[in-house]
Amino acid sequence: MLYFRSEEHVDRWCRQWKLERGAMLTLDQVWQLAKAWYSPDRSDPAWRRFTVDEAEAILTGIGLTAPFWNLL
Amino acid sequence: MSLAHWCARLARVSHDLDVRVRSHVYGVTMQRGYPPTIAEISAALSLAQADVRATFERLAAGRALVLQPGSGEILMAEPFSAVPTPFVVEVGGFSCYGNCIWDALGVAVMLKQEARIKTACGDCGMALQLTVAGGLVAGDAGVAHFAVPARHWWNDVVFT
Repeated sequence: MLYFRSEEHVDRWCRQWKLERGAMLTLDQVWQLAKAWYSPDRSDPAWRRFTVDEAEAILTGIGLTAPFWNLL
Repeated sequence: MSLAHWCARLARVSHDLDVRVRSHVYGVTMQRGYPPTIAEISAALSLAQADVRATFERLAAGRALVLQPGSGEILMAEPFSAVPTPFVVEVGGFSCYGNCIWDALGVAVMLKQEARIKTACGDCGMALQLTVAGGLVAGDAGVAHFAVPARHWWNDVVFT
């Protein structure tokens, strides 16, 4: 996922590449997502991937509840 | 030993090896900003390169790593990228690459350090910079665009 100056730039990029507009997050939302997703220490032998339920809980926790964010 | 016992033992050995290699990969990556090669892991853990490759393939199948096509080396040890990307992260004593804006921020989270992220607008290429400090992010205003619905991310994790 890329970072854009504004929604207008996203729309222009989508038109250029003939892609449908996906989902947009504010900087604060993507920061919250990064904090939740990458806090577990992956060098820890006990680390494991999130379950689908855990991952969806992270997404819904920052307001990402649209069908776009469904993992299954 | 029965076939079932032998299979169970083999699975346990493979699992232990997967954990050992994954932990080593992240330990090295978090120290220097990019993942180790097959040869480096082979030397560090006294493993045959074929065993490292097989372990990489299991970890990739479990979505714990993403491999480069052809060479089988690591492409992504999320959130770190083994190859240059438009998401430069300056953190601690080194610069490294995130796979996307989410991952670039994730590098700062994972390393628990202040960071500067240098990227560019995906459309016009204007330089954009973010800083992470004190548990907060600040910098050039913008929006992160997810082009692919979440359930399809792993169809081609390089393009999301």
